[in-house]
Amino acid sequence: MNNNNPRRISSSPGALCSALMALFALMLALPFAAQATDGGTVPAAKVVNPGAELWREVRQREAPAAGTSQVQGMDSGVLINTYGEQWRQFRMQQLIPAAGVLIGAVLGLILLYHLIKRGVPLEAGRAGNYLLRFKEIDRILHWYVASVFIFLAVTGLILLTGRVVLIPVFGHEVFSVIASASKEGHNLFGPLFLLGVIGLFIRFVSKNFPGKGDIGWLLKAGGFLGGKHPSAGFFNAGEKIWFWLVIFVGLTISATGLILEFPFFGQDRPMMELSLVLHGVGAVLLVAGLFGHIYVGSAGMEGSLESMTTGYVDVNWARQHHDQWAETCEEAGAVIAGEELAKKQRLRGTKNRVPDRPVAEGGQ
Amino acid sequence: MTEFIEGPLWYFALAVFLIGVAWRMFAIFRSGSKPDFSVPRRSAAVSAVMTSLRRFVPRREMSPRIRLHVVAGYMFHLGLFTLLLFAAPHVEFLQEHLLGFGWTPIPYWAFIVTSQIAFAGLLLLWLHRLLNPVTRLISDADDHVAAVLTFVVMLTGCLALMEAFTGLRVLHRFTVELLMIYFPFSRLMHAFTFIPSRAYTGAWFGRRGVDA
Repeated sequence: MNNNNPRRISSSPGALCSALMALFALMLALPFAAQATDGGTVPAAKVVNPGAELWREVRQREAPAAGTSQVQGMDSGVLINTYGEQWRQFRMQQLIPAAGVLIGAVLGLILLYHLIKRGVPLEAGRAGNYLLRFKEIDRILHWYVASVFIFLAVTGLILLTGRVVLIPVFGHEVFSVIASASKEGHNLFGPLFLLGVIGLFIRFVSKNFPGKGDIGWLLKAGGFLGGKHPSAGFFNAGEKIWFWLVIFVGLTISATGLILEFPFFGQDRPMMELSLVLHGVGAVLLVAGLFGHIYVGSAGMEGSLESMTTGYVDVNWARQHHDQWAETCEEAGAVIAGEELAKKQRLRGTKNRVPDRPVAEGGQ
Repeated sequence: MTEFIEGPLWYFALAVFLIGVAWRMFAIFRSGSKPDFSVPRRSAAVSAVMTSLRRFVPRREMSPRIRLHVVAGYMFHLGLFTLLLFAAPHVEFLQEHLLGFGWTPIPYWAFIVTSQIAFAGLLLLWLHRLLNPVTRLISDADDHVAAVLTFVVMLTGCLALMEAFTGLRVLHRFTVELLMIYFPFSRLMHAFTFIPSRAYTGAWFGRRGVDA
């Protein structure tokens, strides 16, 4: 039994993430029991609104009528915002179904690809020598953003799709507890995501400008077309696109989130509705992209996850996926032997260490 | 469930916390130290105080390597204790159930900002513990349980912030009680032992003329 497998290290963040999610689920489940003991539901009395006809007339006007009011504030002169119904229709009939289709399609494609291709193996096996790919600060930043975004994604999807998905399962009372908790958590963690995105930009922007080989990489779809793996530098074109997507969409959902969270800087109702649409569309795009990112960074590509756990990648992995970067590193003498790396990380004698010898036939 | 969590379980958790912490501290102080007959080169008491204070700031030689650790550490600890002592629901709770008097709580916006700072600090510290080979090597299950439990307590507190649902408040209370029961048996005891520990080290070295 070889205890040197780096996957033992790589699995820990996932396991801890799972533990967090389990705790979160437990946390959400406990209030249900408390609520259930508070008493049964009382059927609501039906009260006919005597002003229903009047309000229907007002609502069916062409545009919001600007009236006057003693109340000072944004939209205080608007009796009923008729755009609100259009926005509600868009949210319920287009945004939520489209989000479900997009996320479902991405998950389905990933599953299909994995069942057919079983991911991308290390063609030359493991060399047993390593290159430093990400420094500790980069990895901490990456997992910080990942943790915060996953929390925001879960709470955001609860808020976006809860009416459709959760109310039929849990009922209105339980959903109201979950929605209240999700809203508080989402609002609290939102600004932390913005700080993370800014941090990602500062740390990684210099490596994400278009460069040599990016067009070729895109034309070959990263190796899906043409068979041979295309040439790439430190980041390939796909990673660069993901980076800029995270930056631009991340900043957009952060900005719109702040507009929604702090509604006292003069933003009117249409602005809030537009922000909510941009926020929802951007977040769904990032969640869909995130599934692809998680797959490619773990089960979809052998040896990838190590770069974000130990920070080091096998030389053969680097040569296969980032040949230009690997060549530069090898010329600079930056290759570290497995034995040396184990000493460097002071992991010798523990179960969580990087392999110190080749573990596959054909390795160098 | 609500009655149990806010009644018997609360008193049990409080008893375990108070007796456990007192017992641990008593055991530490009772262990004493070996008699030292050497001529003191410097006042042990002054050195104890100086070391206790000096260790709030990292040594210059270490600063570049542990900058993140220090910053995140201060973010988390200052944030947590500000929330613990100055969050409006906590002040109200302490006044009504434990102390009989209160003080001015921080405003709502300060609560939000402080909790964000504390969350960011805790998350960064935990990631550092997981990703740095040295801290990973010296960490065990206790460290991770303590971190997760503290995170969950803070999170449930923030989720219940609107105080609109009894269930969320009770959930927060329940996680706090779990933390209180776990506290005396874990490294969370450093909240009480860090000053005596620094003072002892400072006094021991100071007596021999060494700045610790």
